[in-house]
Amino acid sequence: MNLSMLKPGERGTITKIGALGPLKRRLMDMGVLVGEDVKVEKVAPLGDPIEVTIKHYNLSLRKKEAEGISVEVAK
Amino acid sequence: MSAESISEVMRDPVRPAAASLSEEKRTITVAVAGNPNSGKSTLINAIAGTRLHVGNWPGVTVEKKEALFEYEVKLIKLVDLPGTYSLSPYTQEEIITRDYLVHEMPDVIIDVMDATNLERNLYLTVQLLELDIPVIMALNMYDEAEKKGYTIDSNMMEEMLGVKIVPTIATRKAGLHDLLKAVVKLVDDPSSHHPKKLNYGEDIESAVSAVEKQLKDSYPSLAEKYPLRWLAFKFMEEDEHVQSELKISGDVLLIEDAVRHLKKAHEEDMESIMADARYAQAAGLTREVLKRPELRKTDLTEKIDRIALNRFLGIPLFLAAMWFMFKLTFDVSKPLGDWMNALTFGPFKRWAEALVGLIHAPAWMSSLVTDGVIAGVGSVLVFVPVIFAMMFFITFLEGSGYMARAAFVMDRAMHSIGLHGKSFIPMLLGFGCNVPAIYATRTLENQRDKALTALLIPLMSCGARLPVYVVFIGAFFPAYAGTVLWSLYVMGIALAIVMGLIFKRTLFKGEAPMFIMELPPYRLPSFKSLMIHTWEKGKHFLIKAGTYILAVSILVWFLLNLPWGVESKKDSYLGQVGQVVAPVLKPLGFGSWEAASSLMAGVIAKEIVVGTMGEIYVKKTGEEQSAVKPAFTADLIEIGTSFTTALRNSAENVFSTFGISSLSTKEDEKRSGLKSVLRTTFTPLSAYAFIVFVLLYMPCVVVAIAMRQEFGTWKWFGISFAYQMALAWLMAFVIYQGGTLLGIGG
Repeated sequence: MNLSMLKPGERGTITKIGALGPLKRRLMDMGVLVGEDVKVEKVAPLGDPIEVTIKHYNLSLRKKEAEGISVEVAK
Repeated sequence: MSAESISEVMRDPVRPAAASLSEEKRTITVAVAGNPNSGKSTLINAIAGTRLHVGNWPGVTVEKKEALFEYEVKLIKLVDLPGTYSLSPYTQEEIITRDYLVHEMPDVIIDVMDATNLERNLYLTVQLLELDIPVIMALNMYDEAEKKGYTIDSNMMEEMLGVKIVPTIATRKAGLHDLLKAVVKLVDDPSSHHPKKLNYGEDIESAVSAVEKQLKDSYPSLAEKYPLRWLAFKFMEEDEHVQSELKISGDVLLIEDAVRHLKKAHEEDMESIMADARYAQAAGLTREVLKRPELRKTDLTEKIDRIALNRFLGIPLFLAAMWFMFKLTFDVSKPLGDWMNALTFGPFKRWAEALVGLIHAPAWMSSLVTDGVIAGVGSVLVFVPVIFAMMFFITFLEGSGYMARAAFVMDRAMHSIGLHGKSFIPMLLGFGCNVPAIYATRTLENQRDKALTALLIPLMSCGARLPVYVVFIGAFFPAYAGTVLWSLYVMGIALAIVMGLIFKRTLFKGEAPMFIMELPPYRLPSFKSLMIHTWEKGKHFLIKAGTYILAVSILVWFLLNLPWGVESKKDSYLGQVGQVVAPVLKPLGFGSWEAASSLMAGVIAKEIVVGTMGEIYVKKTGEEQSAVKPAFTADLIEIGTSFTTALRNSAENVFSTFGISSLSTKEDEKRSGLKSVLRTTFTPLSAYAFIVFVLLYMPCVVVAIAMRQEFGTWKWFGISFAYQMALAWLMAFVIYQGGTLLGIGG
């Protein structure tokens, strides 16, 4: 399961960041870390990008960027 | 501490640096760092106000703000660093910030923190502390944090970090005195500053001390020049910038050993291990000092976003907002621009003529002054209102937080042609005028996104091209005016999509820049901040672009009027060049020197094509000169009344909701003489090919200058020039030759 598959309102915990290089570093700089809780808030009107909350703030990223972030969905 | 207790409001916080200040007095350099959206700009504006000097960082086009002022008999130099989330060397902003801090070694860093977003802001703080430069934290937006029900134990935080923390509310100028006092105190008594060394965990710490020792032994000169612990971390992270700058690579050291060990233990790359360790510090601190209310209230931002980013309403609302912004930018500024234009070509020109007459200057000089210099000044002034208006709205959109939403809503559509969500606004502005549109690309952080957007903007048919269309449509297609006009706009957009796709696969091959972007809370930007920003940008344009535009205007005057005394425009340099170029345009259906010369004159501004055609094709009939020249005082009164009219028209345009005034076809009645001549030299087919050529051929010189200013190089204008010339020729060729083959309009 990866972050791009979550529906608005669903939460999960990050288990792995598969991205590489600058993308990975940028994600980590923004607080997207393994073990972090993440919630998908919205999907943009045209279907991409998505908005998530992480570390109590709102972050938007493209689905393609979210694909590399593995999550375990919270029940 | 509560927000109310940060009551010390700064009235006039700082005085400008006195010229008499003695030389030996040392200037305290204070670098201001912080996350984007932390209120850093507002804080700096509140402290330094109009004393801010805006420029660019050397070699790049990221804005650099500086201010020099006196505070408590100290001379303080404030340097605003670009907003960054981290010091990783991936974005231009991060590289600038890092290079400045490491090389210039300011006396103090003020770290501006968004108190409502403590943990992520602390991540930067942790990295700043690695640099061994004294840090003072401004815990900004303290009121907002309280409103959210947060309590922050800043005393405990001070103790844990060993760093002075000053709560501030920059929008209300609260806490700024304390902040500057803390700076002065720290500089007077460096011993009062004893930051705690942050412990990144046993394995990292032992590795870093091994590397530190290694560096110190092998490169003692480096160890003196750079903060050792920071340097060690950078080597461990295999930071390419540091490695290439210092010309030593990681593998000659024992570093490899230390790193391999860590990597194996964590099953991660070094950069990730470090990011994790730093965030662990930030998270640990936050846990200790911050208490959030158990029940989270829905805040205003969430409420607005439920509507603004709604699946169905998001796009219509966005388009409506853009429509208003477009209208406000161009309709409000238009009467003022027209007023400035009338002022230049009316009173200013008359006064200049009178002056030149007084000194009995030769005719060529009087022409140079009035048609060259004054006309040049006029073409600069015309842009001033629109540039100011655009800067104001863009700053408002960014400061309010809506810019990020605009990008969020539009990204899918723009990304499909290789652009970024934020590209939409500059492109849209392009329909009004390409010049502010080019300046608006500064909202794009990534250089690739910015360049691609700027390359496509000239394909958006601007207001200056309209008069050309109007004359030709009036002469050849009066029955289908709407359709023909529409076809030109659509063609521009369609070609922008095609060119976007081509550029994406050629010039900008490779991974598209990432989107990852914070959606900051909605905030009302402070009026003062807005005004300072708008003013600084506008001033920048006036000075920098103004000089270039003036020079080009004078050059064109030479081309048009020299050799002095030629009877026919055909013999002027412009006409001569036109004759040389004409054969190239022959296959397009308009291979006359008249057409070629008009197109060349149009590089000043495309509407000049019409004016030049008027001059070349139609012999001057009515002597405009014969009009009675008003007296000086009458001129002054006229300036005053016309200005009030212009202001009133601007204000009225704020409220008028329908129709872009710049799209009116009022000019239709005029230029009937030109139209009848055009009908004898053009066919409807070649006329259409001609206006398509006008739509597409090189952007005007002001756009060229704007591109040069925004990118610091002529490169992008060069590319723009080349591809647009080729595209214009090709499209006109296809239309004319194809049409002729099919027997249309021949």
